Amino acid sequence: MTCEEFKRVLPELGSGHGIEQEEHLRSCCACSDLIADLNAISKEARFLQGSEDPSPWVWNSIEVALRQEGLIRQPQLEHSRTPTPMLSWRLRWLVPMAATLLIVFGALIYQRGTGQPQTAQQPKPVAGVVTANLQPADVMGGEDLQLLKTVSERTPSMRATYEADLRSVNAYIRDAEQSAHSDPNDEVAQQYLRNAYEQKAMVYEMALDRSLP
Amino acid sequence: MTDAKKQQGDRLSEAEAIERAKQGDAAAFEALYNLHKRRVYSLCLRMTANTAAAEDLTQEAFLQLFRKIGTFRGESAFSTWLHRMAVNVVLMQLRKKGLPVVPLEENIETEEEAPRKEPGADDPRLAGSIDRMQLQRSIASLPPGYRMIFLLHDVEGYEHNEIAEMVGCSIGNSKSQLHKARMKLREILKTSRAEKATKP
Repeated sequence: MTCEEFKRVLPELGSGHGIEQEEHLRSCCACSDLIADLNAISKEARFLQGSEDPSPWVWNSIEVALRQEGLIRQPQLEHSRTPTPMLSWRLRWLVPMAATLLIVFGALIYQRGTGQPQTAQQPKPVAGVVTANLQPADVMGGEDLQLLKTVSERTPSMRATYEADLRSVNAYIRDAEQSAHSDPNDEVAQQYLRNAYEQKAMVYEMALDRSLP
Repeated sequence: MTDAKKQQGDRLSEAEAIERAKQGDAAAFEALYNLHKRRVYSLCLRMTANTAAAEDLTQEAFLQLFRKIGTFRGESAFSTWLHRMAVNVVLMQLRKKGLPVVPLEENIETEEEAPRKEPGADDPRLAGSIDRMQLQRSIASLPPGYRMIFLLHDVEGYEHNEIAEMVGCSIGNSKSQLHKARMKLREILKTSRAEKATKP
């Protein structure tokens, strides 16, 4: 094989050479050097891949365009991104429950105010009337324990949640009662107490409704 | 963007970033950009030999990618998908500007056609002595068509059949142009080295 013949087939050779070409390369320094140079260029060229950094404005422009096109979406607030069925479920009960309880408490206060006038010597608190029917302390009472038993039988996974809710609302009732007792004429304290009982009633309603088969 | 957010973006794996980018997560888009910007930009820069044009093309390539990211199903590597898209963006741009993408008529006198030089001691091999900066300059001085084939094959690692499909030429033409590009580069590099050697 001559040098001319070798160069003619060189573009088609790629990385490997045939027997004829190998023999020629062993005997021809010029062609051997040529191949070595071309291989060196090719090898060195690979290092040019990804060797340059664009200026920061490129990303800035991309980001602006993505926002304009609506491809980047603003992060939503956690509560609106993740569905909270429990919350909406609770809210569903809020209106009728609150209305019922307010009517009951309103009637009780009215009854107390007309039939048993308050004097300094008789500081009978509103809370005293109410607590006769509902468990006032954060310590679990018989009704609370019965409720938790029902919940654990029907939806065991919810028992811990309701137990925590009951303890919390009982503590709230206890605090509100103390405030109401210390100043029976304090309307704000009375309101807190009513709210506390409303919350406990809601916990009962939810627990019973949720644990229904 | 804050440093903390940037670090969070960098920490994302590519797969995570792709999924989050599909949901419109800004940090995920930035993470993907940071992973691939150098390669895409380098490709654009070498093909255009112009910084401003390369940055515009980089921007366009990534925008096209992000617009279509919802269609990426993972059948091929993401980087393959991205670089193919970048190449297409560049080729389209070059065609729009009327620059030759396929070198058919370019007649470069390389060593093959040039008067035969006798190999001697003062004309040693390039191997081991190629200056990378000089190689970059030499590539930039190639005619656009040759430069394209050389970059796609020797820098980006595409096969001749892929190049032929991308630029719309035959496989034989791709091989031929690559060979001529390498020969031309050899000639430029040797001339450059000889000039350096003669300088006081």
